[in-house]
Amino acid sequence: MRVPGKLWSVLGVVPLLLVLHWKHGAGSPLPITPVNATCATRHPCHSNLMNQIRNQLLQLNSSANALFILYYTAQGEPFPNNLDKLCSPNVTDFPPFHANGTEKARLVELYRIIAYLGASLGNITRDQKVLNPNALSLHSKLNATADVMRGLLSNVLCRLCSKYHVAHVDVAYGPDTSGKDVFQKKKLGCQLLGKYKQVIAMVAQAF
Amino acid sequence: MLFQIQISRMKTSNVIWVGNYSTVVKRDPVLHWSWKSELPLECATHFVRMRSRVDDAKIPEPRFWSNWSSWKEADAQKSLGRDPLFLFPKDKLVEEGSNVTICYMSRNQQDNISCYLEGQQIHGEQLDSNVSAFKLNKVSFIRKTGTNIFCKVDQKDVIKGIVLFVSKVLEEPKDFSCETQDFKTLTCTWDPGTDTSLPKRSSQSYTLFESFSGKKILCEHKNSCNWQVDSDSQEMYNFTLVAENALGNRSVSVLFSLTHRVHPKTPYNLFLKNVSGTKATVTWKVHPIGNYSTLLCQLDLLGEGNVIQQHNVSIKENGEYLLSELEPDTEYMARVRCADANHFWKWSGSISQKFITAEAAPSEALDVWRNVKSVSGRPTVTLFWKPLSKLHANGKILSYNVTVENLDRPSGLEVHSVPATANGTELTLDQDSYQIHVTALNSAGPSPASVIVVSGDPGNEEVEEERVNGTEDGFSVSWKPQSGKAIGYVVEWCDHPQDLPCDLQWKNLSSNTTSTVISSGAFRPGVRYNFRIYEISTERMAYLLEKKAGYLKELAPSDNPQVVVSNLTSHSFTLSWKDYSTDSQLGFIQGYYVYLRSKAEKECHPGFKKATLPDKSACCQHRIDNPEQKTFVMENLQPESVYEFLVTPYTSAGSGPLDAFTKVTTPDEYYLVEKGPYTHTHHPPHDRLRFAHHDHLLPKKSVENPHLTIMNVSDCVPDAIEVIHKPEGSKIQFLGASKSLTETEFTKPAYLYLLPAEKNYSGPGPCICFENLTYNEAAADSGSCGHFPVTPEALPGQPGPLTSPENLLKALEKNYMNSLGETAAGEASLNYVSQLASQMSGDKDSLPANPPEPVLCSEYKMQMAIPLGLASPPPAENSGLSSTTPLDQSEHYR
Repeated sequence: MRVPGKLWSVLGVVPLLLVLHWKHGAGSPLPITPVNATCATRHPCHSNLMNQIRNQLLQLNSSANALFILYYTAQGEPFPNNLDKLCSPNVTDFPPFHANGTEKARLVELYRIIAYLGASLGNITRDQKVLNPNALSLHSKLNATADVMRGLLSNVLCRLCSKYHVAHVDVAYGPDTSGKDVFQKKKLGCQLLGKYKQVIAMVAQAF
Repeated sequence: MLFQIQISRMKTSNVIWVGNYSTVVKRDPVLHWSWKSELPLECATHFVRMRSRVDDAKIPEPRFWSNWSSWKEADAQKSLGRDPLFLFPKDKLVEEGSNVTICYMSRNQQDNISCYLEGQQIHGEQLDSNVSAFKLNKVSFIRKTGTNIFCKVDQKDVIKGIVLFVSKVLEEPKDFSCETQDFKTLTCTWDPGTDTSLPKRSSQSYTLFESFSGKKILCEHKNSCNWQVDSDSQEMYNFTLVAENALGNRSVSVLFSLTHRVHPKTPYNLFLKNVSGTKATVTWKVHPIGNYSTLLCQLDLLGEGNVIQQHNVSIKENGEYLLSELEPDTEYMARVRCADANHFWKWSGSISQKFITAEAAPSEALDVWRNVKSVSGRPTVTLFWKPLSKLHANGKILSYNVTVENLDRPSGLEVHSVPATANGTELTLDQDSYQIHVTALNSAGPSPASVIVVSGDPGNEEVEEERVNGTEDGFSVSWKPQSGKAIGYVVEWCDHPQDLPCDLQWKNLSSNTTSTVISSGAFRPGVRYNFRIYEISTERMAYLLEKKAGYLKELAPSDNPQVVVSNLTSHSFTLSWKDYSTDSQLGFIQGYYVYLRSKAEKECHPGFKKATLPDKSACCQHRIDNPEQKTFVMENLQPESVYEFLVTPYTSAGSGPLDAFTKVTTPDEYYLVEKGPYTHTHHPPHDRLRFAHHDHLLPKKSVENPHLTIMNVSDCVPDAIEVIHKPEGSKIQFLGASKSLTETEFTKPAYLYLLPAEKNYSGPGPCICFENLTYNEAAADSGSCGHFPVTPEALPGQPGPLTSPENLLKALEKNYMNSLGETAAGEASLNYVSQLASQMSGDKDSLPANPPEPVLCSEYKMQMAIPLGLASPPPAENSGLSSTTPLDQSEHYR
């Protein structure tokens, strides 16, 4: 079992609160493990936390399509002209989201989604730095998105902890692409970003 | 043992390769051998078998092959998943120019599959029902990030792709060489050529191997490597540089002796000392190379960036050289570099130092010239000199000394100091002769003196001017020696003759010279340059020899002369342009063209020829060949005709502009004393005072005046004078409402009763004064104006004297009606109110003692229009107008 290197930085804000799980190609996240430990955050949460979360979601949603376009353009043909075949958002193990759930349930699902996306984004960023070293705007956009996700993850966790006393959320991650061939790496990245674009719109709407 | 190996593809009978592998079989029975398939193994099952035989010379022939082993199958397809389409090889790395085989394998035979490379479909060879292969020959480098190759299944959402990485060809290192600066380290350098790095694959690496010592190092840099020289024992070195990447390697070798590869370090501590005006000592140091090496140093002396001296100096450690033959007050640069004196390999880097030599007294006398003119009767000498060149100034000129010595009356020397910024000075002298010495001073002393002698007597200035032709090179000026004792000549001219000051220039020439070419960057076409050639006597006095004038290139005149029209008659007029200077033109004026055109005349007059103007219109042209002829008489003209003329000068380059013609209207054969500006169209006079046709009767002064004026009839002797009326006057056009009164022609006739000149009259002269003091535009409508009789006797049918204004008006009206019997009053828009002046013209207060007597002298005065507002009531007596109302005037005449 191997944890993607980027994962640590994604979760770096509150690493001690999480029990990390790596399940290659997992179809669904592990269930929330009930713990009795006292939930505590390193810093007090922001007073208007939900608003912050909503803004971060809106920020991600507003930039997701541009990131997607930058990505598939940088991969070259056949990607830009075969988005339906190469970049369709069929990511089977992607964490589910139920917009009609309780706030707590939605926050837990959001946490899983952002953790999943953050790790995948780390893989994509690593791959693209090697495969497309001159695609600087793509790198910049990937890094900026990952930064917002880190902040969002921290805020969601703060909210879960402070309001719902959830100190432990099991998460799952997508497949590691390091062993894949280059074309497959490009394709998986494209699919993930297509999925991200689709999901973040729905999540942003739900909050 | 020798092994023979067979490889089959897809089926054992399809042998695609046979080869031998020879090796020594030791105790370990496991041998390894590999083979690379062009076709990716995933696309087809391969089979291999082998047999062996002894391959040892010690074993005598015959040697027999063993039996073939059984076929071993290599099937990579089994490990593939269940995807409908596979494409191989994945992430293949090849060198540019090599061949690559790509294959795809489909699970469904029915699928129609198409494959693409860089947007272009590629076509391959079907190996079996599910497998096709594409051979890409001599693949090109496209980009470092690789090339996507993909295949898609038509009608299905399936695309499979691979990325092919093509690297640049690994080049052999170029310019590989090694050298030492200190016999401790050998530095080897080379040009690595193209970088072959690709994503996830680093660039080529370099390894340095020395065969004599057997040592090998991995180089840290792509283009250099440092090799430590262990001891003095190794003299020869044989280096091999190997460049290597994932696809192969290239190498290059060099063999050399260490002592032949010495590249000294850059010298240091370069100083200049004992710098004088012409000499300087240079010192420098070098880093020693071992204990026995001698260095050869090259010392360059540079002036203005150019090497002007070069010296070789052999040294061990300290260098010194005395530079000589330097110019005073000059900036130089000393530059030193060194190389091994025994085995030249390379020059070291250079060290340089700038220095400036000391000043010395100016080495040459000034080039001085003078201009003598008289100011308020005193000779004033303006001295000019050219600044010394840097070569001769030998330093910064601080001032100039001008020493004046009276040669006629020996006295003390007069010394003037002129600032260095000046290039001349002015001296006011008297009629004596003076010898003037001019020197330039710098911090080291004065220059040799330049001597010139001037006299208050300007000498012979009356020298006829000759012409000189200009060429692209300038003006070729030549002269004839006069005295035979000249010590030289000076040619003087102005670079800008039209400016003030004119930028006086001069050129000194030796005594045996009689010609020269004067050139200047300031010379321009169309400018007249005047050259004066002086002879310099043994007394250093300048005497004017010759004067020349010329144009670098003559141009056509840019403007035409102002032409005055005079002597206008019904058949001729005279043109003159006497104030037109022929010296300030763009070329030598060779003459003039007189152009004449008239709608009335189709043929040209004698002396004229037909010409076509730039606007394609026709006219007549007369050529005047004499540039000094500045008058021309147009003759044989038609009366009452409009003529247009133009006078334009011409030079060798052409004539002036042919644009502004001037109109002149010849009068009819009887003359009204009238003349307007000839630049306007004038219509034939209609209601005019007519004289019998004698051209000479027209007084000149009246036609020279471009306006209506007073004709003094006493100036002429008419045969008869009558006032006529032309009914067609109403058809006459006015040129414009803004025309001044004096230019306006009248539509209504003026009626004057004149006393016929009596041939035998013996009085003071048959003078008649016409004073048409005013006309009133409202008069015609109001009927309050008329024509006044000269005297009651002159009005036939008029009973009694006109004692009242009413009577006078009636008399006038009657007479008017009588005279204009056939003229409809309604036609008139203007009526003349004409008067006969009293005997003393202009003195209206002095009435004649005997009014009924005819006046002896008449005067015709200008008539003026009075605006309606002023006509009634009549103007005051002191009005500026020279007329009064008719009634008032009538009283004068009674």
